Amino acid sequence: MTKFHLYFDKDKETAFLNEMSQKGYAMTGFFAGFYHFDKCEPGEYIYQIDITEGLFRVSNDYREFMKDMDVEIVSLWGPWVILRKKASEGAFELYTDVESNIEHYARIKKMLKVGAVLEIACLFMEIFGAVSGVSTAWAFVFILGAILVAMLKELMRVNGILTELKGRIGTDREEIQSGRTRKISGYLAAGFLLNGVALMIPEIGADGQMAFWAGFLKGFLQTVAIVLMTAGCIFTLWRRG
Amino acid sequence: MEKNTPLTEALFYILLSVRKPNHGYGIIQEVEKLTEGRVSLGPGTLYGAIQTMTAKGWIRIYSAETDSRKKKEYIITDLGKTVFAEEIKRLSELLHNGQLMWRPVDGNPEEPEQNSQVRNE
Repeated sequence: MTKFHLYFDKDKETAFLNEMSQKGYAMTGFFAGFYHFDKCEPGEYIYQIDITEGLFRVSNDYREFMKDMDVEIVSLWGPWVILRKKASEGAFELYTDVESNIEHYARIKKMLKVGAVLEIACLFMEIFGAVSGVSTAWAFVFILGAILVAMLKELMRVNGILTELKGRIGTDREEIQSGRTRKISGYLAAGFLLNGVALMIPEIGADGQMAFWAGFLKGFLQTVAIVLMTAGCIFTLWRRG
Repeated sequence: MEKNTPLTEALFYILLSVRKPNHGYGIIQEVEKLTEGRVSLGPGTLYGAIQTMTAKGWIRIYSAETDSRKKKEYIITDLGKTVFAEEIKRLSELLHNGQLMWRPVDGNPEEPEQNSQVRNE
């Protein structure tokens, strides 16, 4: 079975993989948002996600260490490392104290920052293309905009977690509540994405009939996108208070 | 010199567990045994700690046996022992001064010696 999901939130992704394992589906492969699952005993594996400095690779040290711990490296994607361990071999949690959790989330923050800078660079290139008359570039402007908003949203969440953890140095680690700081509304990203998709619809079809429906669909999608973007702006600003 | 103490609980117990050659899984088990299950090290936490302490020269890979099939073992270095001794000294001071809490505060509460002792921990 294959499922498509885009996660920037590593904690939600972990929860998703463990839920699937509970249902009897063990994730065995990942490619660009496509998760591949094989059948397993319900709850056979516990999944955890690590973020490392390397891209699409981990050091031999890391590989050897995890093997000694009976932890299997399932997939490497960018700095993401998806790991699993048989539930029968005991609890599996990667980071068990406040200090190492701070290091872990600081690495995630660094990764998001680098990603956001690259995103902004691409976004400017597309804006430049769009302004100089490449009509499809506008579609990419909005799609890249959506990804950027999603990244910033995650960056703020991670910042919230880090602030909370730093206040707990020296205490025993409890479950982290997701950062209770201001959040960027997901509607904003959804609106950007929809607008990008709408802009990809060609305006002039082969015959008049096509053009009418394409125009209608485009108008409809853009209206929904505008509603979503407005809602996103309002929710983002409203929560600030 | 960089300030090494106070050690985190994880670092303290890992150093203690490698007073003799010990591998990753062995460290986790020993720490669990010593703390009666209170401190259970996750692989990420342990891996990070081992990397940091190897880089600082507090522990090293113990390679008496060259059989590569064997799990990698670690052992504390002299520098690691010095850091550990410093921490024990600091903890003993805390414990010693902590006893003041139950000792009768006799005579003048403004007596400077006792106040300063408490303030200095």
